[in-house]
Amino acid sequence: MRFLAALFIFLFANAASADCPLDLGRGTGWVVFSDHYMIAFRPEPIRIEVGQPFSLLFNVCTKSNSPAELLAVDAVMPEHKHPMNYRPTIVAGADGRYRADGLVFHMPGRWELSIDVRAGEESERLTHDFILK
Amino acid sequence: MLLAALMSPAAAQELVDWSIDEVRAIERHGPWPPPLVRDPSNRVSGMPAAIALGEHLFNDPRLSANGRMSCATCHQAGRNWSDGRAKGFGTVDLDRRTPSLWNVGYAHWFGWDGAGDSLWAQTIRPILDRREMAGSAAQVGRLLRDDKDLACGYERAFGSKAGVDDEHLLVDAVKALAAFQATLVSPRTRFDAFRDALVAGDRAATARYPLSEQRGLKLFIGTGNCDTCHFGPRFTNGEFGDVGIAFFVRPGEVDSGRLGGLAKLANSPFNLLGRYNDDASGASAARTRHVQRLHANFGEFRVPSLRQVGRAAAYMHDGSLATLEEVVRHYSEVSLDRLHSDGTPLVRPLGLTPQQRTDLVAFLRSLDADPPPRLAPPSLCP
Repeated sequence: MRFLAALFIFLFANAASADCPLDLGRGTGWVVFSDHYMIAFRPEPIRIEVGQPFSLLFNVCTKSNSPAELLAVDAVMPEHKHPMNYRPTIVAGADGRYRADGLVFHMPGRWELSIDVRAGEESERLTHDFILK
Repeated sequence: MLLAALMSPAAAQELVDWSIDEVRAIERHGPWPPPLVRDPSNRVSGMPAAIALGEHLFNDPRLSANGRMSCATCHQAGRNWSDGRAKGFGTVDLDRRTPSLWNVGYAHWFGWDGAGDSLWAQTIRPILDRREMAGSAAQVGRLLRDDKDLACGYERAFGSKAGVDDEHLLVDAVKALAAFQATLVSPRTRFDAFRDALVAGDRAATARYPLSEQRGLKLFIGTGNCDTCHFGPRFTNGEFGDVGIAFFVRPGEVDSGRLGGLAKLANSPFNLLGRYNDDASGASAARTRHVQRLHANFGEFRVPSLRQVGRAAAYMHDGSLATLEEVVRHYSEVSLDRLHSDGTPLVRPLGLTPQQRTDLVAFLRSLDADPPPRLAPPSLCP
């Protein structure tokens, strides 16, 4: 799983703009993308444990290199329609970097992370699935 | 690959088949015991002098208004650190069961409704609650200042004499009480021996776990889906769920559970966002800072640990089920209409056969063990 994520980053990092580094360090993480956005993110601490708070570090980019904003981060267990019991807070850093604190996946299983981003008037929701054991 | 395929013919008769995924699921329920954790919000957590003071206070009925009720009145060592009753009692009968204190130091939410976000903050509630000990900060302050032994124990634990600020002394008293309660770690069990042997590949030791308990464990981590909430070494994820127990505590009155607990948490001056949190980093308050109050929290109650569960009768937050057999039957027959889930419900009627119910109960009883006898607490100032 970690290997695949790292490989994913490597492949897309080569294709990404030099202004939008997709490797956030620590040798692991994920990249999600759409027609307009590329978003790299990794957890902190590096291993997500059931019931333990964690943060996500993001780099939010657009393929047109226009400025983008991370609006919200949330997660749900789609099969059970269970949301997280916690609402993350987002702190903006420099150059499209963001930090979302206060996430907790309180049960094992499939969690769908939703990432709401905006560039200008256009907003979009990108998602990523985690299987937590 | 199945573990049973590796077994000698004689030993294989004593094991059910375990897949690699099942072995991993079982591994997550240990090792036991985990290292004791220090609570960063409590500056005397883990300190022997505070633990000793806490044990003395735990057994001291002078914390209550009428001088007859101590923490140990309801949390009895010989009764699984509970009271053996269906529902708790204080100055009046209560609506919820007295929770066991086993392994409470590893938890992150406290009380059936999670109104406490630290063990020390939770400990304040029964001391001040007029339905329970009905004490006061002034009463606790006087006790710590005026009783020679307790005053000495306080000075040893906190490094200074008890001052005049009663609320401050109340908080220090519950921090010592929390330091003591965090030492209450349940003993290793038959399940732990099986789990460790399975992980280590010790076939002979694995085969000593009775077949009925193995079958029950397989149900627990498999079709029963029990370990989704009863997760990890403590057999709880520490969060909250609605498992189909009636909301009404009496005609016209409901127990809203977690929904009400979160309101109490937000209004408490003793929560981890307040001035009594000793953790300057703020990290210990992460859950409190980010927890959200949802409509779905109505009727949710804390997922209890299952360690020592066979000794914890009665069951559920309201003590409405008298035996483990009744609990398993509840999950076998629970009404989906009552649970009104939008998605695939986590709790659903399992439709267990009588043999499966017996096996599941056998497994749950394998999470019990006799604790070692307790010694009298050390003198505070010999």
